[in-house]
Amino acid sequence: MKLIGEILIFMALGLILFNGIDATLIPPSILKDHFITQGVRETGAVNLVSSIYLSYRAFDTLGETIVLLLAVSGIIMIFEVRK
Amino acid sequence: MKESEIVIMISRKLAPYILLFGLYLISFGHLSPGGGFQGGVVLASGVILLYLSRGIACTQRTFTEKKLGLAEAWMFFFFLLMGVSGLIAGKYFLGNFLPLGKAGKVPSGGFIFFLNLIIGLKVGAGITLVCSCLFKTAKG
Repeated sequence: MKLIGEILIFMALGLILFNGIDATLIPPSILKDHFITQGVRETGAVNLVSSIYLSYRAFDTLGETIVLLLAVSGIIMIFEVRK
Repeated sequence: MKESEIVIMISRKLAPYILLFGLYLISFGHLSPGGGFQGGVVLASGVILLYLSRGIACTQRTFTEKKLGLAEAWMFFFFLLMGVSGLIAGKYFLGNFLPLGKAGKVPSGGFIFFLNLIIGLKVGAGITLVCSCLFKTAKG
């Protein structure tokens, strides 16, 4: 009885999700066009990759440096304490 | 294992150029392919070449673990400082507060150059530190 209820709930959920997925939806290109046309003028960097990962998405790079810092401190913690 | 004269000589002559190439990748990161992460890994590979050919103890007279750890920690502090100084200058966190300059020249792009430098030194110090810890453990 409980299993049937669960199956019904999941089927309803799947129906909602399946209706939400539209195969003909294309991602909006506003942001891409903005980066390509205005990126050099707004950030001053010719290399567009650099201008995105250090200017538009610098917060993401901050997170990457935190990840690297954590990895290094973890390895030091594992390998240096044992002496 | 017996030391080879050829390996020692080639690696000693090659390592400064690898470090120079890493600094080139970092400082031209906003103009050509490259940047902080890639240049930092190249910097680390120059030191790791010395680790492999000359041994840990010999190389760590110059690149001590204390210096590398301090570089790793302080560069992260400088990164945060760049972000907060964008906030102080009247923009958002990690906003570009330096003048942009003429696009295409080396001092252009505001603080992208300085962020590349900070990230490059940080990644280089971090990877070198990881490799030195692992090599020391592998030796026994």
